[in-house]
Amino acid sequence: MSQIELVLFLESAVRLGIPLALAAMGETITERSGVINIGLEGSIIAGALGGALGALAFDGAGLGVMVGALAGLTVALVFAVFAIGLGADQIITGTAVTIGGLGMTGAVYQARFGATGTELSLPTLAPLAIPGLSDIPIVGSALFAQAPTAYVAYVMAPVAWYVLFRTPWGLELRATGEAPTAAEAAGVRVRTVRFAATLFGGAMAGIAGAHLALAHAGTFAENMSAGKGFIAIAVVVLGRWNPILVLFAALFFGAASALQFFLQALGFDLAYQIFLAFPYVLTLAALAGWVGKSRAPAALALPWEPHR
Amino acid sequence: MPVTSTFRVWSSWRARTKAASVSEPLVRLRGVQRRFGQVHALTGADLDLFAGEVHGVLGANGAGKSTLFNVLGGLLAPDGGTIHVDGVPVSLASPRDAWALRIGLVHQHFTLVPALSVRENLALGTRGRSLDEIGQAVEATMDRTGLRVPLDATVASIGVGDRQRTEILKTLLRDPTVLVLDEPTAVLTPEEVSGLFQLLRDLAGEGRAVALVAHKLDEVLAVSDRLTVLREGRTVLAAHRNDVSARGLVVAMVGDGIADEMALGVHVDAPTGAGAGAAAASRPEVETDPEARQVVAQLSGVCGERLENVTLDVRAGEVLGVAGVEGNGQHELALVLSGRRPPAMGRAEVPDEVAYIPQDRRTEGLVSEFDLTENIALGLARLDRFGSGWLMPWDAMGEEAERIRTRFQVAAPSTATLASALSGGNQQRVIIGRELALGAPMLVAENPTRGLDVAAAAYVHGELERLAAEGVAIVLISTDLDEVLGLAERVVVMSRGHVIDVPADERTRAGVGALMLSGGGEVA
Repeated sequence: MSQIELVLFLESAVRLGIPLALAAMGETITERSGVINIGLEGSIIAGALGGALGALAFDGAGLGVMVGALAGLTVALVFAVFAIGLGADQIITGTAVTIGGLGMTGAVYQARFGATGTELSLPTLAPLAIPGLSDIPIVGSALFAQAPTAYVAYVMAPVAWYVLFRTPWGLELRATGEAPTAAEAAGVRVRTVRFAATLFGGAMAGIAGAHLALAHAGTFAENMSAGKGFIAIAVVVLGRWNPILVLFAALFFGAASALQFFLQALGFDLAYQIFLAFPYVLTLAALAGWVGKSRAPAALALPWEPHR
Repeated sequence: MPVTSTFRVWSSWRARTKAASVSEPLVRLRGVQRRFGQVHALTGADLDLFAGEVHGVLGANGAGKSTLFNVLGGLLAPDGGTIHVDGVPVSLASPRDAWALRIGLVHQHFTLVPALSVRENLALGTRGRSLDEIGQAVEATMDRTGLRVPLDATVASIGVGDRQRTEILKTLLRDPTVLVLDEPTAVLTPEEVSGLFQLLRDLAGEGRAVALVAHKLDEVLAVSDRLTVLREGRTVLAAHRNDVSARGLVVAMVGDGIADEMALGVHVDAPTGAGAGAAAASRPEVETDPEARQVVAQLSGVCGERLENVTLDVRAGEVLGVAGVEGNGQHELALVLSGRRPPAMGRAEVPDEVAYIPQDRRTEGLVSEFDLTENIALGLARLDRFGSGWLMPWDAMGEEAERIRTRFQVAAPSTATLASALSGGNQQRVIIGRELALGAPMLVAENPTRGLDVAAAAYVHGELERLAAEGVAIVLISTDLDEVLGLAERVVVMSRGHVIDVPADERTRAGVGALMLSGGGEVA
């Protein structure tokens, strides 16, 4: 493997890992509050469409990302109203939100751009090279010459870690996910915390979606989220609900996805579908506990209502 | 002052507080009610807490003490009644509301987060302060109170005593004006208990109001200035500590029936803890016919959860009554006797097949959403006489269910009726029918008539007596003294896991009632 190939591999690994990192970071916060948002995929696809429409409307990719975040948050709000407000089953609600999100975005896209799927040309998020850091040999350009949304993920990891483990707010969030009744007894508004954590997760997934549309593809396509919401949930498990480990886990998954291009480029004589399947096999392995002993928040996925 | 009527104490106390209304209580609860589904946990509880006092709240299990305290702590919303704090009517809709009024509740259960460290749990209780800030406050409070806990261990890894101390510290850190403690002593050592009580006295001395629930009468008497007794969700007595005897409190807790007997002087001498040997000597009828009364089950030195060195014989054809305040180990005894739980220590020889009538029909006895045939099959299908066990013998089960339905006069249109559609009495008939079909040499029944109407209860009693006459050994565990005394030839009391034999001449409601509450110790 030449150095150029290695740099290319690392670059695509990071590029593919960033949307996973953004979505998984948000989901980490959501799950720490005791809510598993299977509807993440719906927020991502909504974020992609919102990002595309926003970038067109305001003629700027930055504002597109904002609209994408808002779209992801809105989808999460639907999930939260049912799963937290009404105490519905989180898995079923999340599944419905994912299917609904995929369907709705497809419908809106066709209504706006026609059933034939006019090729959209969007303002894109140009890579932003960090002076100095991007000149580091081999890893520099891979990590520090990425779209601006990548830096959101880098910054968010330590910030989320600090909030979770070093602030009273994070303590209340974790207590809510571990023992909601105990948290309530301590004066924490359990459902408010869960709502906030879920909306944050939705907004992050929305940014991830906007990143897909504006930094990767430069266009929107139906179902372009391609299961990234579910992979992000596996990334949370692999990262043991710790934002910093989650960032690395996301980059690891990105590398797994990048491997397919790379191995094909190296001329491995295998059906490319096998490489395509690799990240999903890895997802299954992570969810099956291959990551070793890690413990989910004790109250994860359990609806909670004040027993009064 | 010996108390002869709970009403008199109550009314005289009311008169006195009216006369001395210069000092308003910090907290005043009146007629508080709370229902859980069909269960009335509180039907009319009153409680006054004054600044500077330690107030003991007494009552048997299920009397509503914890519910009342949870209402005070804002964890449970009452269905009725009023709450005044400092003379102002308030609503305690959440723990936040209670804290805003500086009412701090030390919970009996579930308010620590196992996955978090002790320090984090303490910080959670004080909301908004950082972990470093909280560290200093915790050190200061630990020094002041003498309660020490390992701050960096996770709650999951520490013992119950440390958890209890953590709960108390957590509440004290928020500096409550009204401190409410639900069973804080159950898991502490005697030295720790006296340390805690000294602390409570000091806190009251600072002008706070302290309210406390504890099971042990002597403990409550030792620390309290005033006392409130709850029975069946209602306040039946409120008095200054000096105005009431331990006996009077026992009477208030157990009920009017015993109170009447005591008032009439039927049997006022409190029995002392009778040793098993002495009791055996005063039980001649057992020895007279040893042939018919062979030992069916034998426990010796059995220890385990809520069981302390239990030694007990159960003989064929006898009804052995087990009395006691709920939660003193009767349920655990039933599990061991029926072979459903092996003892942690000691020897338990019980028959292979034991019929068991559990106390909670709906959750332990029957599957509500199964029909009669399915419920019968659940208990009987594994018996050899129904075949190999590879296929469910539905035909035989249907016949058996039909036989039980007719034989035990279950008021159900058919065997396809769901258990949830039956009344409590009919559910009990199904269970009895099923358990009798086992043909077991021993039957363990736990509160078999609880919640049944008079006719249904009489039916159950008749069945138990008929079985005993047929030579089945019956263990009747009941918190209903009348039931135990009416049916049992031999009576034991369970208290704090110990089994105490009741001599024949103590087999009165007053005698057994006093043993139930004192655990064989002296009642003043």
